[in-house]
Amino acid sequence: MGEVIVITSGKGGVGKTTTTANIGAGLSQLDKKVVIIDTDLGLRNLDVVMGLENLIVYNLVDVVEGKCRLKQALIRDRRYENLYLLPSAQTKDKTAVSPGQMKKLTGELREEYDYVLLDCPAGIEQGFQNAIAGADRAFVVTTPEVSAIRDADRIIGLLESNNLKKMELIVNRIRIDMVKRGDMMSVDDVTEILSIPLLGIIPDDEQIVVGTNQGMPAIGMDSFAGDAYSNICRRILGEEIPFLDLSRGQSFLSRLSNLFRKN
Amino acid sequence: MIKRSSVRIAKERLEALVASDRVHCKPKEYDLICHELYKTLSKYVEITEEHFQVSITRSAIHIQLTGEEH
Repeated sequence: MGEVIVITSGKGGVGKTTTTANIGAGLSQLDKKVVIIDTDLGLRNLDVVMGLENLIVYNLVDVVEGKCRLKQALIRDRRYENLYLLPSAQTKDKTAVSPGQMKKLTGELREEYDYVLLDCPAGIEQGFQNAIAGADRAFVVTTPEVSAIRDADRIIGLLESNNLKKMELIVNRIRIDMVKRGDMMSVDDVTEILSIPLLGIIPDDEQIVVGTNQGMPAIGMDSFAGDAYSNICRRILGEEIPFLDLSRGQSFLSRLSNLFRKN
Repeated sequence: MIKRSSVRIAKERLEALVASDRVHCKPKEYDLICHELYKTLSKYVEITEEHFQVSITRSAIHIQLTGEEH
């Protein structure tokens, strides 16, 4: 039986979709069977970030409304073994899917996939309730900004009150130079306030933009952010991986030691 | 003069916001809660307001008396 994980944040634009795409790609590279689901009705993005926008025939709403079989709506990503995307609908309104229907859908998918990743929409309305309905575990994404952390705190409270207690934090877009000069909150500052376990730290990296431009997850490229995402994936599988050392000078050494750790 | 790091300002603002979100009140009301807790406790405990700290987590309210070594 697979695990259903929701990737959420509260605030928009902190990197939920990018994180879903990269973790999905990363887990499939580690030989897991993965399906990623875009639950943002009316504003679908995950297909674009993945570069699969031209392959969409059916979507999440079609599946729920019984217009097609689940298998027909799943898009296989040819670049990765065992990675599938269930796209969202671009035209339907937000009430086209209910939490009960999502629970049923993720229940079916977990029979066949090792990981079902749900890209949650921003906000705390029905889209959020839909995305968390069938989830066993939540990854809360935030950036080191006051507004993003505040929203993450609210999301954590809401997840708790919905009995989703298995939560982990991903701190995205850290800039070590700014942290050093006291102009950006550090990962410690963030975890101190949010007090849930840390799953990963993603450095602010131009490669993410380059990847998104091309519809390619950064995890395949040689980049800081890509390495950070592959560390997250290995942690998900239970490996103990130390957090990326973000100070540039040591990057080569830490990469070298990562190389040895693989063997 | 040393420029005040913006992180300190961010953390102060964030702590106030998060605490008031957690108890569902406005930041001003949060200050009031702290003050009234202090007033109540100071009737029984010898303490000054600057050594009195309230922190609110999602499941608990902590009151800390700082600066007094016994």
